[in-house]
Amino acid sequence: MLRLVSKKVLGLASQEGLVSRPVQVLPRMYHERVIDHYDKPRNVGSLDKNDPTVGTGLVGAPACGDVMKLQIKVDEVTGKIVDARFKTFGCGSAIASSSVASEWVKGKQLEEVVTIKNTEIAKYLSLPPVKLHCSMLAEDAIKAAVKDYEAKRAKSNGSATAAPAAKAAEA
Amino acid sequence: MWKSKVWNLTLLSTILRRRPTLLSISHFQSNSTSHFPPTISRTSYFDFLGNPNFPGKTFCSESAEKSHVHVRCWSCGNVANGSLFLFCDSCRSIQPLDQSVDYFQIFGLERKYDIGVENLEGKYKDWQKKLHPDLVHSKSEKERGFAAEQSARVIDAYCTLSKPLLRAIYIMRLEGVDVDEEETLSDPELLSEILEIREAVEEAADSQELNQIQSQMQEKLDHWSSSFANAFQCRKFEEALNSIRRMTYYHRVNEEIVKKL
Repeated sequence: MLRLVSKKVLGLASQEGLVSRPVQVLPRMYHERVIDHYDKPRNVGSLDKNDPTVGTGLVGAPACGDVMKLQIKVDEVTGKIVDARFKTFGCGSAIASSSVASEWVKGKQLEEVVTIKNTEIAKYLSLPPVKLHCSMLAEDAIKAAVKDYEAKRAKSNGSATAAPAAKAAEA
Repeated sequence: MWKSKVWNLTLLSTILRRRPTLLSISHFQSNSTSHFPPTISRTSYFDFLGNPNFPGKTFCSESAEKSHVHVRCWSCGNVANGSLFLFCDSCRSIQPLDQSVDYFQIFGLERKYDIGVENLEGKYKDWQKKLHPDLVHSKSEKERGFAAEQSARVIDAYCTLSKPLLRAIYIMRLEGVDVDEEETLSDPELLSEILEIREAVEEAADSQELNQIQSQMQEKLDHWSSSFANAFQCRKFEEALNSIRRMTYYHRVNEEIVKKL
């Protein structure tokens, strides 16, 4: 067992020339992309949630006690997401899923990102079946962020068309 | 099979001296923290929580009593005395596993959430003195199998009942309410509270700060545990589920604190 582990570590070290710390922590069944995103998560951090151009999605997985926050900054003129940040307290798969989600939403239109499916994230990260809910969480976080942004926008615009939608969302 | 292996490695004397390793609610993130070393408690949770199709009705004490009316010892043929028949008192043979006996019955308890946890350990040890696989190592393979299953189930029962959160989830299951919540939670009040606490844990400078958060979490856990007890007693299962959700989140915070301490 010990030999196996050391072999793995040495093998990695010689192949890549650098040993990334969490590689040893995560079991081998994880896809290298999960490990990559877990090790070097993209877009970690926060945006100002009071900024009217920022939408915040806050979701949780009640079964495992994970929390995921995904924020998007939207260009009001083009409707394009110009920046994204996330903060996730959860397992490696949840972190990787939200990291991927934050990358994928950048530079896209709002209506485009709400079509991102958890299955795409899961497939990209080769998540095992027990981890599918992590990608589901990421999908829900995107939707929640968009919804939050739209609700804010409707509120500030006070436009007759958008207001009922926001009210419906709040109800 | 996994369990019998574990058991072969664990001496009876060790078991009786020490309590089983309680990893608390590690099953909740057994998926999330997969680098967890395999432990007895971790496997055991997969048994009742990891199996989504676990038929709730088999837990019913009524059906247990009925099916036990004419149960005889497989070894000496003695008629079972009562519904709880894990062990034959006349020939000391370990009986086959009966899933219809619930954890509360194993510990001779009424099925309610508020139990005296301090009495569990003694009962647990009493069972292991009768059911531990080491006691039957020279007996038939069949009985060794029974011993492995029975003693593992007694561990499951002990681990489950001694932890408030696990006990809450279990007792809900007995009522046919599945707590395995797959859907995403979007309660902003709870989630932002948790996010804040988790950030505080992450940024805590020293163990004193961590201990402080930990005691806050314990207060919250106690509060929601009694909320659960009330809701469950009134059969307000939606409220009871809400309490479990809260407990899960605060418990998770505690686990993170323990990791850091």
